[in-house]
Amino acid sequence: MSRVFLLACLLVTVARAAEPTPQEMIAAAARNVVKIYGAGGLRGLEAYQSGLLISADGEILTAASTVLDSETIACVLDDGRRFTARLVGIDPWRELALLRIDGSDLPTFAIRSDGEPVMPGRRVVALSNMFGVAAGDERVTAQRGVVTAVVPLEARRGVAEAAFRGDVYVLDFTTNNPGSAGGALVDVRGRLIGMLGKELRSTRAGIWLNYALPAAELVAGREAILSGTAAAAATPAAKPFDPRRLGAVLVPDLLDRTPPFVETVEPDSPAAAAGLRPDDLLIAVGPRSVTTRAEVEQALGAMAAGDPVALTVIRDGRLVELDLGPRPRGEKP
Amino acid sequence: MIHVVLPAAGGILVALATTMTAALPGETSEPTLAEEEAFRRAGEQVAAAVVRIEPLALSAEASGPREAAAGRGPSTGLIVAADRIIATEFAVPADVDAAVVVLPDGKRRAARVRGRDRVRKLVLLAADDLPAAPPLEAVPRGRLRPGQWAIAVGRGWDATSPNIAVGIVSAVDRAWGLGVQTDAAVSPMNYGGPLVDIAGQVIGVLVPLPADTAGLTDGTELYDAGIGFAVPLEDIRAILPRLEAGESLSAGILGISYRDRDAINGEPVIASVRQGSPAAAAGLEPGDRLIRIGDRQVTRIADARHAITPRHAGDTLAIAVRRGEDEAAKLIETTATLAAELPPWRRAVVGLIPAAAKPADDDAAPSGIPIGWVLPGGPAAQAGIAAGDRLDAIATAEGEPASPVGSAEEAAGLLAGLEPGQPAWLTVSRDGVASTVPVVTIPLPADVPAEGPPAEPVAVDPLAGPQDGVDVVRLEAAEVAEPPLAVIPRGEIPLGVLVWCGPPHGPVAEAEAVAWRAAAARHAVAVILVGSGDPDAWSRDDITGVARALATLNRRRPIDPDRVAIAGEGAGAAFAWLAAERLGRGIGVALVDAPLPRRAAIEPATPAAARWILLGPGRDEPTRQRVAADQARLERAGHTAGLLPLAAAAGEAVAGQPPADLLCRWVSLLGLL
Repeated sequence: MSRVFLLACLLVTVARAAEPTPQEMIAAAARNVVKIYGAGGLRGLEAYQSGLLISADGEILTAASTVLDSETIACVLDDGRRFTARLVGIDPWRELALLRIDGSDLPTFAIRSDGEPVMPGRRVVALSNMFGVAAGDERVTAQRGVVTAVVPLEARRGVAEAAFRGDVYVLDFTTNNPGSAGGALVDVRGRLIGMLGKELRSTRAGIWLNYALPAAELVAGREAILSGTAAAAATPAAKPFDPRRLGAVLVPDLLDRTPPFVETVEPDSPAAAAGLRPDDLLIAVGPRSVTTRAEVEQALGAMAAGDPVALTVIRDGRLVELDLGPRPRGEKP
Repeated sequence: MIHVVLPAAGGILVALATTMTAALPGETSEPTLAEEEAFRRAGEQVAAAVVRIEPLALSAEASGPREAAAGRGPSTGLIVAADRIIATEFAVPADVDAAVVVLPDGKRRAARVRGRDRVRKLVLLAADDLPAAPPLEAVPRGRLRPGQWAIAVGRGWDATSPNIAVGIVSAVDRAWGLGVQTDAAVSPMNYGGPLVDIAGQVIGVLVPLPADTAGLTDGTELYDAGIGFAVPLEDIRAILPRLEAGESLSAGILGISYRDRDAINGEPVIASVRQGSPAAAAGLEPGDRLIRIGDRQVTRIADARHAITPRHAGDTLAIAVRRGEDEAAKLIETTATLAAELPPWRRAVVGLIPAAAKPADDDAAPSGIPIGWVLPGGPAAQAGIAAGDRLDAIATAEGEPASPVGSAEEAAGLLAGLEPGQPAWLTVSRDGVASTVPVVTIPLPADVPAEGPPAEPVAVDPLAGPQDGVDVVRLEAAEVAEPPLAVIPRGEIPLGVLVWCGPPHGPVAEAEAVAWRAAAARHAVAVILVGSGDPDAWSRDDITGVARALATLNRRRPIDPDRVAIAGEGAGAAFAWLAAERLGRGIGVALVDAPLPRRAAIEPATPAAARWILLGPGRDEPTRQRVAADQARLERAGHTAGLLPLAAAAGEAVAGQPPADLLCRWVSLLGLL
């Protein structure tokens, strides 16, 4: 038995000791998650959610929601201690809220904007007070799964679109439950990689979304709240842009989801020059897929004046790509 | 932990350290990171063959492209051969013949439908210039075990990066052998994508299969339930040549019904053979016992479903049946070519109702069934048959030996093989003397006949409360906060049941029973008055309440399963239809002053799923027109659809009251043979 082999054995042992088991990891990370109790808001909405301790002296990040519309916001820590929280501010774009409790030496998550990139397939654990089942000093609920996709949030709650358009982590397990919002998403080493989002439906697929806001957005959201620029950072939604400005008249928008067929093409227009024809079906504006007339107008509206307009259409069962030149400014035609 | 190592004792210490490592808390070596790496590699293994499918709002069935139905959102597809992609009917619905494919590099391709498997909800698409994908390795069905890792790969969320969901194989044979079940997150986003094992070999293609293929659902509602299905790749490869040839494979129908109501464990004995069905062409007869279908031995109805469900119309199956009893039994071997559809079945009747047997009577009864009532002017009455006679046997073809009748179900099964207007020969005995009389069957009357069978005479005990022969009780059950009210006629025979859903108004008050007492007693029909959980609207939860109420009543007093109906008025009418869809395929539905709900799905009638529906008439012209259209639609599908008279004209004492007498009489007639 050589010393080198012995040393190697020991190094393996030490390395493994540094790697927490899932049980240890959850026990450590759950100490940084708080249960938040506030107002019920409108009738039928829940009066509880989850939050993340991010500083030893009591900063808590959570989801901005009707739960916080309350005279008193109570935060219950993992050890059962109950604090009254003050709302420092909210970031309406990311739907984040910063709370503060008077504490010291509190357990915290480190929130970082420079963590390693999160790819689909990454194992994660969600820690939250979903359904409010963790009563009193009971530990929050742990769920496991993987990140399914990292994609821009295209979502709505009821009829209202969610403002945030940045990337989120879509999860392969169900977190869109009352109380989950504001909970922690951690990797297998217990590092915070995101915050569980609110209950939303995907705009395009119509299915409920299970997602988390990436840690980098939490850093940016906290800074925006503390610097007072949070509200200003909210970008207004792009105004729809009428394709008639390019010379393409689409079929009348009579149905809920009118397919974007071209009705007529104005002579001497960019559309005519590019070869767009009546009865062409638009399927993409640039890289964005479109299946309705409204989506065409939104996709064109999201471009800046001067951006090249590339349309993909279906004509006689074949794909045709057309270049309509720069997009004009968005005044009325 | 501190390890001090002396060279001389190294071996021992290493052993000690290893032991300590294994024993110390925090030192269990859970393979979390290794698994994470394996998930990633498994996904990469197939990623090049996985593409995004985007809906194309182009309809082949609409009169022109302008009327096209809109698409439904992104989904996934799997490249299975050069320029060929398997996707699902979620991405490419039946009335659409094209889709847009987005490749992993973001480029788009137009794709056209080559063929479909309507049973497995799969579509084969053809597209030009697809990138070469590595060949897919299929996991053989026999190697699948519940509990093994299952990784769902899609591109619905993001065309350029494969989307991963991780779970296990939950069951190997599901949906009557069509699919493998997984708890990995399966949703419209990854329908059409592969489900792979930890080595990246393909278990199957994710599909929106309904859990029960006989159900009314399209399968998508299971997306967040931890229940997903994948069709094994080897099954898909077996049908690829047919899809490539442009076939649209539909479910194969044999055309039989079973005597046993238990559709799983019931005896596989044929109750009826549909006219013009593959079963009729194969020479199968009522009373035959299925022994083998294809290469599957059949001992229960479930075996037959397992053998038939994965097959398609046009497939030919070897069938073996046993005909006759004991020494006279013969083994008959035949073949049947499954059909895509049967002409709608219509119920033929001879106009009689068997006498309801008290539970105690069963064993003592001689052969045949006692006739309790004959329809005035009906075929049986015209042939001179009267209440009190016994129906011993029925022949459905001239010169054929008559089949003995031991129960109402057997009689119904024999008549189910006839179309209305076809003759039957009834062997009837009166005072021990048997004779055979010919009758010509008629369709089940659509409108409720003016007369129905009388109630069982009940001795009224003047000391036992009200003297109209009914009891009004609350159907109390565990965890039911507002128990429904039931008006139950006294007596011992199994009861017909009418469930009444008025306009939603919360819990039912005792006073509401008054309107039903006389009708319930006169027709020996129990009436259940259910309340809505929400005082303003009927909801899905209330359907569960109806099911529980029926179960609770059945424990107090047996229910005759042939005579169950649900009726509603106003908003309760739409609820009644939806509840009937969930509660049973044969139960009657009455929609007072209402048409069908707009989204009502009407399945073609079969002997096991034929409804007698009453609707309308509607108080305004648009409603009356919808009622007429619905009536025609129901009749075309083979159901019996009668028109209700306006409440005031139904002979009810007070306008605004439910047509209690008419509805109870209708329920008493639901078992008409």
